[in-house]
Amino acid sequence: MTFKRFVNVIEIVTLVVALGFVVALFANEPGGRAGGTAKSGPGYDVYLANCARCHGQGGQGGVGPKLAGVVTRDFPDAREEIAVVRDGRASMPSFKNDLSATQIQDVVAYTRTQLK
Amino acid sequence: MTASTAGPVTRASVPVKLLAIVLAGAAVSIALGVYGRVHDPTGEKPYTLFFSDTINLKVWFASAALFLAAIQVLLALRLYDKIHIPRTAPPWLGDAHRLTGIVTFGLTVPVAYQCLWALGFQSTDGRVLLHSLLGCFFFGAFTIKVLSVRTHGLPNWLLPVVGGTVFATLVLIWTTSAVWFWREFGFPSF
Repeated sequence: MTFKRFVNVIEIVTLVVALGFVVALFANEPGGRAGGTAKSGPGYDVYLANCARCHGQGGQGGVGPKLAGVVTRDFPDAREEIAVVRDGRASMPSFKNDLSATQIQDVVAYTRTQLK
Repeated sequence: MTASTAGPVTRASVPVKLLAIVLAGAAVSIALGVYGRVHDPTGEKPYTLFFSDTINLKVWFASAALFLAAIQVLLALRLYDKIHIPRTAPPWLGDAHRLTGIVTFGLTVPVAYQCLWALGFQSTDGRVLLHSLLGCFFFGAFTIKVLSVRTHGLPNWLLPVVGGTVFATLVLIWTTSAVWFWREFGFPSF
């Protein structure tokens, strides 16, 4: 096989793989697949818009730590969790400029009651 | 007569070709941005391969892509006779340039997939917003470059300009992600 032909093969393989990733973007669209969780309400909306990208749509963890099933253990008092959301901690940003106090309470309530 | 009619047709077709190529690139950038904005970020880690974490994979893949892109720029400089090492350009130089570009692109795809699918288009701070914008712009500029290579009759300055833009964008993307990671969390392990 000549070098040119080798490059052509690599090019085709790369294009096919890239197309596969594009298809996967849509095939793996979550579409609210967080099983067992409430999919409406102010807490859910705030969670999806601000928290899901790091903690996962179902709170299963991702870039940020897992929340589902453990958040009440890690924060027995909801006020501690509210403080972390409001002020941030370590790599987690503060949301005090992005969310109102009511929104923070809603999202904390959501994580404590709906993420199982 | 034939020559006088062929001239204007050729001149007129170049702007049309350019416009079509730029529109294709813009469409890619906009499509990525819209997807990143509309899609609900999953926050998941879809793959780690042989790395200990997805973020480590992303940092190393992005760094490898930048390294290969720098080699591609050097190969392009030799192709354009801007540098003279080696003194005689080997016949496989063009294919080597293509290969480094293909592999560079191949390394950026899984990184971009994780960014788009797990994190989406974010604007939480200046760095994140800039990174999101540049990420979308990069693939549009890359599309323009590939189409420019494949389209005949375009101005000679186009490829170096677009290629340089793609490389500069990759440098900025890497700076707003991998370099940020190193500064915040230290040099990543595998």
